[in-house]
This record gives sequence, C-alpha cells and structure tokens, in this order.
Amino acid sequence: MNGLKPISALPQELRLGRVDYASVMSIIGLVVMTLGIAMLVPAAVDLRVGNPDWQVFVVAGFVTTLMGGLSWLTTRKAAARLEVREAFLLTTLTWIILAAFGCLPFYFASLKLSFADAYFEAMSGMTTTGSTTIVGLDSAPPGILIWRAILQWIGGVGIIVIALAVMPGLRVGGMQLLQTESSDRSEKILPRVSAMAGTILAIYCTLTFGCLIAYWLAGMTPFEALAHALTTLATGGFSTSDSSIGHFQSDAIEWICTVFMFAASLPFLAYMRYLRGGLKALGEDPQIRLFVILAGCAAAVQAMYLIISNTMGHADAIRLSLFNTATILSTTGYAAADYTGWGPFYNAVIFLLMFVGGCAGSSAGGLKILRLGIIIAVLKQHLSRIIRPHGIFPVRFGSRRVHDDVAVGVSGFLFLYLAAFAIVALVLNMTGLDGITALSASVTTLANVGPGLGPTIGPAGTFQSFTDLQKWICSGAMLLGRLELLTVLVLFIPRFWR
Amino acid sequence: MTSLSSIEPAPRGLIDVRPALSVVGVLLALLGTAMLMPAMIDLYFGNADWIVFAGAALITVFVGGMLWITCRGRARSITLRQAFVMTTLAWLALVVFGALPLYWCNLNLSLTDAIFESMSGLTTTGATVINGLDNAPPGILFWRAQQQWLGGLGIIVMAVAVLPLLQIGGMQMFKTEAFETPDKILPRATQISGMLTLVYVGLTMACALAYLVAGMRLFDAVTHAMTTVATGGFSTHDASFGYFDSAAIEMIAVAFMLLGSLPFLLFVRIIQGKPADLFRDTQVRVFLAILAGLTALITIRLLFNGLPFGEALRDAAFNLTSIMTGTGFATDGYHLWGSFAVTIFFIATFLGGCAGSTSCGIKTFRIIIVWEDLKQHLRRIVYPNAIAIKRYNGRPLPDHVSAAVQSFIFLYMALFALLAVALNLTGLDTLTALSGAATAISNVGPGLGDVIGPSTTFAAVPDAAKWLLSAGMLIGRLEIFTILVLFIPAFWR
Repeated sequence: MNGLKPISALPQELRLGRVDYASVMSIIGLVVMTLGIAMLVPAAVDLRVGNPDWQVFVVAGFVTTLMGGLSWLTTRKAAARLEVREAFLLTTLTWIILAAFGCLPFYFASLKLSFADAYFEAMSGMTTTGSTTIVGLDSAPPGILIWRAILQWIGGVGIIVIALAVMPGLRVGGMQLLQTESSDRSEKILPRVSAMAGTILAIYCTLTFGCLIAYWLAGMTPFEALAHALTTLATGGFSTSDSSIGHFQSDAIEWICTVFMFAASLPFLAYMRYLRGGLKALGEDPQIRLFVILAGCAAAVQAMYLIISNTMGHADAIRLSLFNTATILSTTGYAAADYTGWGPFYNAVIFLLMFVGGCAGSSAGGLKILRLGIIIAVLKQHLSRIIRPHGIFPVRFGSRRVHDDVAVGVSGFLFLYLAAFAIVALVLNMTGLDGITALSASVTTLANVGPGLGPTIGPAGTFQSFTDLQKWICSGAMLLGRLELLTVLVLFIPRFWR
Repeated sequence: MTSLSSIEPAPRGLIDVRPALSVVGVLLALLGTAMLMPAMIDLYFGNADWIVFAGAALITVFVGGMLWITCRGRARSITLRQAFVMTTLAWLALVVFGALPLYWCNLNLSLTDAIFESMSGLTTTGATVINGLDNAPPGILFWRAQQQWLGGLGIIVMAVAVLPLLQIGGMQMFKTEAFETPDKILPRATQISGMLTLVYVGLTMACALAYLVAGMRLFDAVTHAMTTVATGGFSTHDASFGYFDSAAIEMIAVAFMLLGSLPFLLFVRIIQGKPADLFRDTQVRVFLAILAGLTALITIRLLFNGLPFGEALRDAAFNLTSIMTGTGFATDGYHLWGSFAVTIFFIATFLGGCAGSTSCGIKTFRIIIVWEDLKQHLRRIVYPNAIAIKRYNGRPLPDHVSAAVQSFIFLYMALFALLAVALNLTGLDTLTALSGAATAISNVGPGLGDVIGPSTTFAAVPDAAKWLLSAGMLIGRLEIFTILVLFIPAFWR
C-alpha cells in the first residue's frame, strides 16, 4: 500500500471506476415490484369490506409493479457488479423510491392527504418511525390501516437485512463489528445478502406470527392483531387507533406488546446464533447484556418515580414503566397512556432514552446499544490509561477486540448524530415550532421513535398540524436517522462520485 | 494484565497526600494574602466589613501555613496520582476558604449561597446569588472579581502545565516535548506560570486602562477588567454591562473576552518574537470562525426584529462572545430574542473557547478533533483500502487522542443530561434545569428562562439545586476526568 500518499495519487487500479447505475436500478426495480405486489393485500382487504379504495390500491399496485418491472427488465443484464459505492447509492435510493411509491395509496385514497402528508406517512412507515399525520384512525378504512402496517413491516425487515448484510461491509459508524464470523471481509455484497435474507425473514415471520397469535388470544380482533403484530416486530408503532395500544385498555395486551417490542430490538444475529447454540449464546452477546441492564435501570427509575410521586399504583407503575421503556428504547412509539402529564422528570427520562435506541442489527433506531457499548469501552480504556499511563489496555466489547478504526467510526457517528439533532431542531425551530416540540421532533425522527413530547406531537398528538416544510424536514430526518446518517451523507462528498 | 503493571514507574499502594497538601497550603496562604486587598478597600471606604476580610485572611494564611509547614520536607516531585489529588483538593480548599468572607460579611448569605458564590467565582462561572450588587460594599465586589481573576490564572496554569501531563480528555495534544514526566509538574508549573502570570497581568492592566479611557470609574474598570480577562462574568452592577450602555465599553469587553479565550501559550510565543504562531494555530482560526458565523446568524435574526444594523451587530457580538467564551456578561435579556436566538445561545454555551485559556466548555480543539475523525471515517468508507492520516495543527493525530476526546464529549453530554435531570427533580422547570446544567458545567454564568436568565440571579433556586450546580461547576472546570478518576477504586490501589 502506498501509505501516506493522498488518495488522488493512488495508482489507477486502486481507484474505483464509474458508479454502476444499471445494477443499482435493477435491484431497486426488483424491490419496487415486490412493493407493488404487496399493495394487493390492502386491495383485497378493502374489497372484502366493500370500501371503494380497493381500486386505488389495485391501480397503485399495477403502476408500481410496472415501473419496477420496467426498471428491472431494462437493466438486469448488468446486475453482476455491486460494490461499496453501488451499495451506498442503492440503500439510500431504495428508501427514497419505496417511500415515493408507497405514498401513492395515501395520496389517492379517500383520506385526501396532501402529497407532503402522504410522503411523510410513507417515509414514517418505511423507516419504522411511526409518526403519523392521520387523525381519526379509528374510522379510517381498513385497507389504509393495513397498508401502513405492511409498509413498516417491509421497512423493518429491510433495515435488518441492510444492517446485517450490507452495513458491515460499508463499515458505517462502527457497524463492521456486526460482521458474522462466517462472512469474510470481501466486498461481495450480493451473495451475503441472499445468504442471510432467508434466515432473517424466517425469524422475522415466526416472531410476527407468534405476536399475532398472542394479541389475538388476548382479545384483539384478527385484523387488529395482524396490523399490530406487523408494526410491533418492525418496532414501527403505527396503530389502528388514535389512542394506540391504550385503546384496548388491556393489561395483557400491554404485557405482550412489551415482550415483543423488547424481542424485536434484540440483534437478529443473536437469534441466528440461538438457533445454533441455544440460550447460552443469547446471554453471551455483550449488546444484549448492556441492553437488559440499561432497560432494567431505566424502567426501575421510572417505576420508582411514579410510585413515590403517587401518580399511580404499584402494578400500573411497573407495567407502564416497562411498556414505556420498551416502546422508547425499541423506538417503536406505541402509547399506552399519555405520559405528558407525569411531571418534567419523567419526560426528561423519556427524552434521554429516545437518543439511545435498541441493539444494532435489529429494526430499532437511535444511537444503538452497540455504539453505546463501544463508547463505554473506550471510556474505560481512557480511564485506565489515565491511572496507568504506561499500561496497555485493549478496547474490548464483550470478547471482541474493538479496533481503532471502529472507535473512530463510532466517534464520528456520535458527533454527527448530535450535530444532526441540533441542526434539525434549530431548523424546525426557525420554521416556527416551539422549543420542546422542535427538540423532541428532531430526536424522535432521527431516532425513528415516533411520538415526541409536548402537547402537539406528544403520545396523544400527531404531526398533522406541522406545515408542509416541517413535514419534509422531518421526512428527511427520518431517512437520515434510519440509514445511520453516514450512508446518506457519503453521497454528498464530491470524491464519492469520482 | 498483572505482568504489565510491573512496568509501572510510580509505586502503587497508599497515596502519600502530603506533597499535595503542602501545595494546597501554599495556595491557601496566597489566597489569604489576597484577602488583604478587599480589606484595605473596605477600610478606605470606611466599611465595617474590613474586619471580616482581615479575620478571614488571618485564618486562611494560618491554615495554609500550617499545612505547608507540616507537609513540606519531601522532594519537590510528585507522582501522577498525587497530581490528581492535588488538583481537586486545591480547588475545593480554595473555594471553601474563599467563601469565608462572603459568609461572614454583612450581606448575610447562607453557607450554601456563600459556597455557591465562591465556587462560581473561582471556576470563573459568574453565576451569582447576590441581588442588589449596586449597593453591595466595595470590598465584597472586589473580592468576587479577585476570586475570578485568581481562578482564571489558576485555570491557565493548570491547563498549560498540569492537564497535558495528566493526559485527560485529549489535553495530551498540548504536551510540550521538554516536560514529559509527572515529577516535573511542579518545576514546570513554576516556570511556566511566571511567564503566564506576566501575560495575564499585562492583559488585565491593558483592559482596565481601556475601560477607564472609555469612561468607567476606576473601581469599576479594575473589577471588570479582572472578570473580563478571566472570562468570569461577575459585575459590580445588577444590570451587568447594560448599566454602562456604551458601545465603546462593550467593544473593549468583546476584545478582551476574546483574548481571554485564546491559548495563553501563544501570547508567550508572541513575547518570544513569534507573533505569526497565533494566526497559524488551527484552534484559534476555527474558534474565531465559529464565533463569527454564529454572530452573523444572531445579527440577521435581530435585523428581523427591526433593530438597525449597528445595534444588532453590537448586541449580537457582545452577548454571543460573552456566552461562548464562558464569561456571562449581559447587556440585554437575550432570552427574549426569540427561540431561534435562544437555541444558538444554548449551543454556544457548550462550545467554549480554546484550550489553554480561561474559557470553558467542550473547547474548540475537541470539536476540531471529532471533525477530523469524522472526515477520516468518511474517507475510509469511500476508499476502504486507502490510508488516511488525520492531522491537528499540522501534526498527525494519534488514535488514542481521538478516543480520549470522544470519551470526554460523551461524558460531558452524559453529565449535562444527568445534572439536568437531577435539577429537574429538585423542582426546577425544564428550561431552567436544562440551561442551569449547561451553564454550570460550561462555567458560563447566566442560564435561560425567567428564573436564572441573564437579567436575574440564582437566588431563587432551592438549596439542593445550588449544591448540584456548584458540583457541576467544579466538575466542568476540572475537565470531568480529574474528578472522575478519584472515584475509581483502581486509582486508590
């Protein structure tokens, strides 16, 4: 390697050639086709209850499948090459384009959403955020409701595949730690995707099905059970009712929901290992350990506060604390009760938890437990070094050695995350939102949580009163946060395109 | 790991705190001597408080002297661990003894208030609990200013001579090659502090002279000069700089607040005949660029409020410089400038000035280092096989410095969040809790909102919150790690 030479001075064979747009378009075409076919599900649902919206879904499905098919057919011959830059472009474009097609039913359906609202809703679905602009979900046609759930479900499985199969190769923000032992460091991305996607999808479907059955047994109608199971496993948070999970007024449903939200925010790699190595493999994962400790402490603090401040009884305090910890840490965003009125301390804890998020390798968003663990490991090393300047302290996360470039990647990510949070909040503030709404909207969209704080976008509110500009900013922030910031940002570096 | 610990140069085991105590003793004796100044001023103005100052001085000098006499005798070298203990102990002791005159004087402050005020002074924060400064006795006013001035000097010496050797939070970037071992801390500190004191005194005198020429009274000029160069922010008037309402005075303050937040070693370099170093320094450039950018934003915001350009620029430049350098002077209730301006001020609270100055916050060099990390990371993402070297000030930036800076920023944000939540629990509203936590750990001074905003004081804050804020100021001032390591069991083994 030519060491210190600047990149432009590298020999030609080390530099990358032109970006291969054809293979990018061909894969996007395939995914769009799948989305179009998925639109037949809400069409069937609407047809069954006799809602005229079924036509919208059929037409949108037809158009989407056609566009995807054309894109795939015209470019498929080229689909041999998919390297780092193509993968970056593919990931970002996929989310933008899928949201664009996914919003067609919202735009044309009887709800009469504006385009900004429809795109916001679709992006919120695809990024599994769960913020909504629709008021009156309880009386909305079932087709739209199931379509929102399906969008989240697809977005959820999509991000897991990306996180496990693509991001480690891209080395975005320390994600290379997620590299499985079996997969080598090669830049062949497609084979790894096809090898892993099957297993991931199987686990995802099994969990969804289990959740569906549990909800149904606990008293939901089959339709509600399906819609909520889809959004629970995707850690999405779209509900079929304005009052979210609180609509059911059932402790059993809240407990089931808590369990599956936690399950969905564990790394899916651990499930794969569980299938091979049993429960022991699950407990050995350092990410899971840290997650359990953090969630336990957070829930305990909340429960203690609720009990001491006499907000509610013991049983309610414990259940709701666990539920809220799960819904915020897993970045789902369901609400069982409106915590806006539970005092500033409670809201401050919720606000802080929003930043953290679930484990990397799941559909949860936020900073992620993996990065938190690495930051703590680096901090420990720094402290050891301060006390013993001549000692050698390798940074370890679990049993794995954290290399310096991982630590630097995480550092860069943390900086970007905080900077993005501040900038988005500032811009939202400039467009006229009050302080708490702007701050919490910024973090809730970047971390893909869903509800914010305050009267407007709190757990009982919606984003409907936002202006179009604010909705577009929030849509952008959701995309940025979902794709780990760097994946999108790298496209804006001129050198990327050379 | 056990085999590795055997290369450790310093013997482990119980720490011998005597060398640390002897240094603390010397510093206390100096502080006690300094109390004679306000005593003389009160005597001159015929205020009965002079007895308080004289008495406090006597006690402080006595305790300091006893400490020094009983603990001296050992060699003039201390180990790394003793340096940590010394730094924290020194600040604590100085704060406690500095609070004596405030506690005993005729202002009738409670012990909590006196400690808060003293801590706010020595850490150059500038948050005050005293209402009615305009009628306060001159001795007290001078003592507050003097405390900030001494605190500022202490910070510079600490940041230049001690912290780089403690290798905390990335400060090792400022290690000069000649002094690399901890046992050189004391000689090095003595040697460097001579030069730095000279620069510091020179700047303060220049500032006082400028204030005097611009129309301040002698007393005001001297006290404000001391708190300006220390980027402290105590004033002799409740209305702070708004009392003078003079563009000239504000511009002088801006200039000297800026000088106070530049790295003082570069001033020494100027004396040594290398003035170009000041402008070649990355940290100085970035700091000035950030400040100019934010000032422009606020100015534009104020133009929308209908202010004429000159006045908008003046208000924006003064208040933003005051906040970003961690000074905390105010000319106007900037919390009323709209939420956009408030957000900018809130962000500026965290940024701070350059390392090696009297200012506080995260500090510009750390922001540069994380930015370099980010750039390198992005480069590596696009070209996985290329080797990219990050640089700071032309020198390669080792990964362990990045790790240290990353840890610092993470801890800083975590501490801010914890402190805000704890303040919230004591009953403060959200805005007060958030801005109080930020202003304390960044040593700025005023917060936001009605309770602790720029036009009010911290008097109305509950006692528990005052203790929390005092602790926050100390932890922020000592760059978090200096105190944090003391709580790690491994440190004491």
